[in-house]
Amino acid sequence: MSHENGRVSASEETAEFKATISRRQFLQRVGIVAGLVVVGAIPAVLTSPETLPSADGAESGAPTLASKINPLQHIIDQDQPVNYPGKPVWYADPAGNQKWAMVIDVKACVGCRKCVYACVKENNIGRNSGFTYIKVLEMEPGSVDLETSNANYTEGGSPDKWYLPVQCMHCAKPTCVYGCPVKATWKEPDGIVLIDYNKCIACRNCIVTCPYAARHFNWVDPEVPKAEINPKVPLQQKSGVVEKCTFCVQRTRNGMTTACTEACPVGARKFGDLNDPNSDVSVLIRTRRAFRLKEDLGSGPMIWYVG
Amino acid sequence: MTDATAKSRPGVVRFIGVDFDFGALKAASPRYWTWVGVLGAFMAVGAVAWLVYMTHGGAVMAMRDGTPWGLWFTNYMYYVGLAAGGLVVYASVHLFGAEQFRPLSRLAVLLAGVLVMLALLGIVTDMERPWRAVWMLLTPNPTSPFVYTGSAANIYMIICFVDLWVLITGKGGHKLALTMTLIALPAAIYLHTTTAFVLSMNKSRELWHSAMMVPIFLTSATASGVSLLLIVAYIVQSLTKMKFKPSMFRSLSTLLATVMIIDLFMLVVEILSIFWPTSAEPGHTIRMMEFFTGTYTWFFVPVLVLGGTAFALLSRRKTRHLPAVQITAASLYVFAVFLKRYSLEGMGFVRDPLGQYIGLYVPSAVEIFLALGILAFGMLLVTLALKVLPIEVPEDDGHGEPVIDYDAEFNAAARAELEPEVAS
Repeated sequence: MSHENGRVSASEETAEFKATISRRQFLQRVGIVAGLVVVGAIPAVLTSPETLPSADGAESGAPTLASKINPLQHIIDQDQPVNYPGKPVWYADPAGNQKWAMVIDVKACVGCRKCVYACVKENNIGRNSGFTYIKVLEMEPGSVDLETSNANYTEGGSPDKWYLPVQCMHCAKPTCVYGCPVKATWKEPDGIVLIDYNKCIACRNCIVTCPYAARHFNWVDPEVPKAEINPKVPLQQKSGVVEKCTFCVQRTRNGMTTACTEACPVGARKFGDLNDPNSDVSVLIRTRRAFRLKEDLGSGPMIWYVG
Repeated sequence: MTDATAKSRPGVVRFIGVDFDFGALKAASPRYWTWVGVLGAFMAVGAVAWLVYMTHGGAVMAMRDGTPWGLWFTNYMYYVGLAAGGLVVYASVHLFGAEQFRPLSRLAVLLAGVLVMLALLGIVTDMERPWRAVWMLLTPNPTSPFVYTGSAANIYMIICFVDLWVLITGKGGHKLALTMTLIALPAAIYLHTTTAFVLSMNKSRELWHSAMMVPIFLTSATASGVSLLLIVAYIVQSLTKMKFKPSMFRSLSTLLATVMIIDLFMLVVEILSIFWPTSAEPGHTIRMMEFFTGTYTWFFVPVLVLGGTAFALLSRRKTRHLPAVQITAASLYVFAVFLKRYSLEGMGFVRDPLGQYIGLYVPSAVEIFLALGILAFGMLLVTLALKVLPIEVPEDDGHGEPVIDYDAEFNAAARAELEPEVAS
């Protein structure tokens, strides 16, 4: 503004005083209006995380080279870092350019909860905390109706029901990350949503805004028997903050698979890299009729179900 | 504001242009000090409750993963809403020339500031590590509605106290009072809108996810706020030297009835859209039924019954000018809006996003004592301010509009029009 003013008044010195004033005023007003428009546009730009996937992806009709090589490319393109602080906080940096995903075969799942127990043990979940990262929902035959599902069914499962394991979906558009007021949670380049336990202010807005009830608050200090503590996962830092499934980041970035995948006795869980066209998850999503839970919400969960 | 008598009295301290009359505290009656003592006791119990929470952690609260927010958030919405009433009354004096409300203006702004302070105290005492709040300033996330409502509440509280100072000192005259109104009014709307956003901007919670939430917040905030102001004005009138005209109460209750019916109307429209056969969705109706025949019935049905009764009381022409009727109606509505906030919070939490039944949230003793302690602190602030600060608005408060005799102007204009005809 001031720069423009200076230029105008210098070049128009010979012009009539009145005209100079009016032009200066005009420029000032234009500047003010432009400034207001820019300031007004900032929240609009910042708060519109949704982008249409059809811009250059396979859905526009003309498949690009990348999508010819990997038909899952449009899903991978959506799965970008959000609020990523750019440095490792708890765990090592991503090992390569993986995009982690999971496929769960609900036809195979028998509801034995072996994955739940393995997860509790692996991730130092307080034995007194009253929550688990994974919830297995017992579904009535004939529908995928969450309202009639039962997460507290009796041990072992029943043959005339079917089972839907639910955990953090590591969404491509994670509402929890958008909702965190202090950027204490973010999405890493390999698609894993992580939490900084030393930064979480315990407002619990992420619990409220998660459509999959995947986040849990440590209302009590988590207690784990000394012999069972996993030294690769924080424990004390988790008291009084929110935690959730991390796709076993401490394992998966070191060439291992997740604890739940390893523990599943019927092989219903597959974990892998979408960027690798030959990985289990890529092949399953490409070749089977895979669906995602609450896909209509548009948060782009990274866990698929096949039946 | 140069009150010669005040200066001559002992115990008056002049600070930043305001006469703090500490002498009045010495002369206060035993009844006054008993009341302060009761409030102090509640504050002490609240402090103990906070200490218990800080040492034992969240387990002493009734909140769990299914109901991650509890009484503190109900109170946040409620106090922020109650603060609106003060602003509406105050703004109508300086913006629309509603002179009948002028005697209330200082009291209204004081109440608004204190109530928003209570709302913020609720948040601070809910945090296990309050010092981490500094991240809200260092790395605010622009996509989180929490950032907006938190900053709005802080800014609004400051605006209210600056406003109170402007009104008391009379600095800047009518022009500054008007400017402050023009700052405070958008700030208040911004505060209520962003508070509603905390609920409505969640696609995970079916019953909250409605744009209607914002206007409902604005109207129930105004209705409950004006109700509270009316009650406080009656209490202040009966306990102190301040006196208000019956015409002021009449205007206040007319305003109240108008806002009440708009508020109830919007709630009914929202309920209709949940149950109407062509728009009903199972996720919505299953949750909403908990508020008519389920666990939250005793919290939600009274909202409609008490609200309707309050409106009926104020709309009966023969009796609506009676103080008893006005106080009853206002009290019913203040209580109804608290239940409304409580139910509104329950609407998000009665079932979790995976459809699992969570049920009724009842705050634990620690939460209740903490909330009562905070409320007592607010009441103590107002009690002390009424004695120490010049809350009573004098005849000439320095903010009066330039007097324009509209009748005389009209007559002169009419005469000027008529005169040529007379001459011809």
